[in-house]
Amino acid sequence: MDFNYSPSENDFRMELRTWLANTLPKGWGETVFEPEDEHERAMFRLDWERKLHAGGWSGINWPKEYGGRGATLIERGIFAEEMARASAPEGINIIGHNLAGTTILAHGTEAQKKRFLPPIISSDEIWCQGFSEPNAGSDLASVRTRAELVGDKFIVNGQKIWTSYAQYAQWCFALVRTNPDVPKHKGLSFLLIDMSSPGITIRPLRQISGESEFNETFFDNVEVPAENIVGDVNEGWKIAMTTLAYERGPEDALGRQVRFKQELDKLVATLCQTMQGGHAAIDNPSIRQRLARAITEIEIVRLNALRSFSLYLDGGDRGADASMTKLYWSHAAQTMYEVAMDALGPLAPLSGNDPAASAMGRFQLSWLQSKAFTIYSGSSEIQRNIIGERVLGLPR
Amino acid sequence: MNFAFDEEQKSLGDTVSRLLADHTALLAPDLSTDAAGPAWDALAELGLFAMMVPEDHGGAGLTTVDLALSVEAMGGALAPLAAIDALLVTDLLVRHGTPSQQQDILPRVAAGELRVAVAIAELGCGDAPEDVAARVSNDRLTGTKMLVREAAQADMFVVVAQSASGPAVFLVPADAQGVSVRLHEDIDPTSAMGEVTFADVALDSAALLGSANPGRAVARLFDGGAALSALLHLGIASRMLATAVDYARTRVQFGQAIGSFQSIKHRCADMAVAVESARSATYYGIWAFSEDAPDRARAVSMAKAYSGEVARHVCNETIQIHGGMGFTWELGLHRFLRRAKVIEHGFGSSTWHNERVLVETLRMQDADLDAKLAAA
Repeated sequence: MDFNYSPSENDFRMELRTWLANTLPKGWGETVFEPEDEHERAMFRLDWERKLHAGGWSGINWPKEYGGRGATLIERGIFAEEMARASAPEGINIIGHNLAGTTILAHGTEAQKKRFLPPIISSDEIWCQGFSEPNAGSDLASVRTRAELVGDKFIVNGQKIWTSYAQYAQWCFALVRTNPDVPKHKGLSFLLIDMSSPGITIRPLRQISGESEFNETFFDNVEVPAENIVGDVNEGWKIAMTTLAYERGPEDALGRQVRFKQELDKLVATLCQTMQGGHAAIDNPSIRQRLARAITEIEIVRLNALRSFSLYLDGGDRGADASMTKLYWSHAAQTMYEVAMDALGPLAPLSGNDPAASAMGRFQLSWLQSKAFTIYSGSSEIQRNIIGERVLGLPR
Repeated sequence: MNFAFDEEQKSLGDTVSRLLADHTALLAPDLSTDAAGPAWDALAELGLFAMMVPEDHGGAGLTTVDLALSVEAMGGALAPLAAIDALLVTDLLVRHGTPSQQQDILPRVAAGELRVAVAIAELGCGDAPEDVAARVSNDRLTGTKMLVREAAQADMFVVVAQSASGPAVFLVPADAQGVSVRLHEDIDPTSAMGEVTFADVALDSAALLGSANPGRAVARLFDGGAALSALLHLGIASRMLATAVDYARTRVQFGQAIGSFQSIKHRCADMAVAVESARSATYYGIWAFSEDAPDRARAVSMAKAYSGEVARHVCNETIQIHGGMGFTWELGLHRFLRRAKVIEHGFGSSTWHNERVLVETLRMQDADLDAKLAAA
């Protein structure tokens, strides 16, 4: 066990730190922030991802032949720490990087890798995820969107829901039913669908935060070339499990931890400056206890991810540990935002554009957004089933 | 960067675990101290107490990280707490002792001949070690220490007391004139805790440990106690989780194993996540302590507060999952509940450590801001 870094790892850190200092806008995080308008913010994040790519900092852990820099998992950990330290913006092609790219790397053909990976890394193509349906949520394997092979094309009909970033996406990976006459897990396939195909319509869904990040996506006789299948026909469940392992896994958690750590730092700074009845909000003893606990839990999100990395580097397999990672970070982050709201005191309800809102309403928005954490990419109840059955060996 | 233990560290942990598994009396439901002696002797014979002693004093020169899995195993096995004090004092002597203190004491601790007991807590004082009222003036110690583990067996007390240069650690022979021990009545009699009174005890010139910087020795003793406590909690929590899961797999009600019910399965899953998260915090904490890392205080406090709360939670849940059996004396789950509570209240409560996490976070943020300003 050693948390010291090698000279080359330290060089990596300093190179990134210097690049960030030179590339982020002047006054970033102090006087300059992300745009408030949802669409402008999305475009800002896309622009930031392209800057990362231009600087050689996109998809760093991917193999060099597909445009990555072949970074180690340790360097990935350093990357996350430095992004947190610089309060760097989020990206918008998270689904492309973390899910589509990793799944294609694991199960795609060489032709698929050459076709799809470079534009993910350059953020020329943004991806969305077509898994959930109105009647297939926690019971994902019961998806009903049909894909029939006709000649050299699949004809896709059905509806997906909660498709985040569909409005910005050029591509969608979807879990579809190719055989309705076998047990539900055995009749699924994993297709890559061009979002500009005729027959696709998207309708934004408004979330409890007021934003419309996600959508309903309708497929009406959409033609998908047969070569756009990952894995074999009716082998899609296995492919989807790989996607979910990455969606719930330590790389994803570490990326999120960056954001939570930034928000926590901002919260502490805000509470130092917020006066409540003659003393600063940070001086409230009961808040201090809960804040300390939140700081500990967000740090543990990082440490859990690093421990998983060490496990993988020692040859351990990715598996149900991803459910433990996801269950932990989602609840830790939700709790943190509850603490934030409590700590802000009587003025906590003020949000958005109210001139008296704390930190321009960011905690109120994050608090609302955080309600999704324990639902998406497998609800906490599903994660607990997986942990109980596959990690602890409890009966079904 | 590597978060894994190496093969030697794992092998030592396995050895300690197997050795203690033979001492089944340590886990017996009855609150007897009879098992402590044989377990102590077996650990001494294994050479555990020599592991952290430097090689030039006849030891193996290992670090607290090297022993982390062993201490975790000692937690789950309800090993005698005097063994933890021995490791703690060894670390302190190695870091802060004078050459003659090291020469005099370390070989005897290594052989298991000299039993040491850490004495910090006092009636009417809070958690902070620097707030103690015991005082040394004119080379004489006066004060009363509480909750000293296996106090009646100790040959030497390692006492935190005020001195002319602030709080400091003193080494006091148990047979010195004016030292007396009264055994406590407490929730875990197997810890054999006692009140130790020092009535105008004359100290010799070598009694002060770490004369170069007495305050640092006090902080290291306290942080070491907290870090090792976190490992003990982790051991207890892991063992209780395994016990609960075994029971949930085999206990049948309504015609099926109770572990198939989500109300039980989900509690087990939550416990598993809590234990693994405590593991992350605790292993990092022990590394930061061992390396004397810049974030040592914060990392140790996170580990102590978090693993203490997890151990408490898992003990409570495990009793609940066992239903009526869980509340019986003879099943013995109460042994872990009792031991965990004793450890929780030593070397700083969760509340105290949480406060220190916040203070240290603010300090580190200020330092980071200063560094950024200096760079700009």
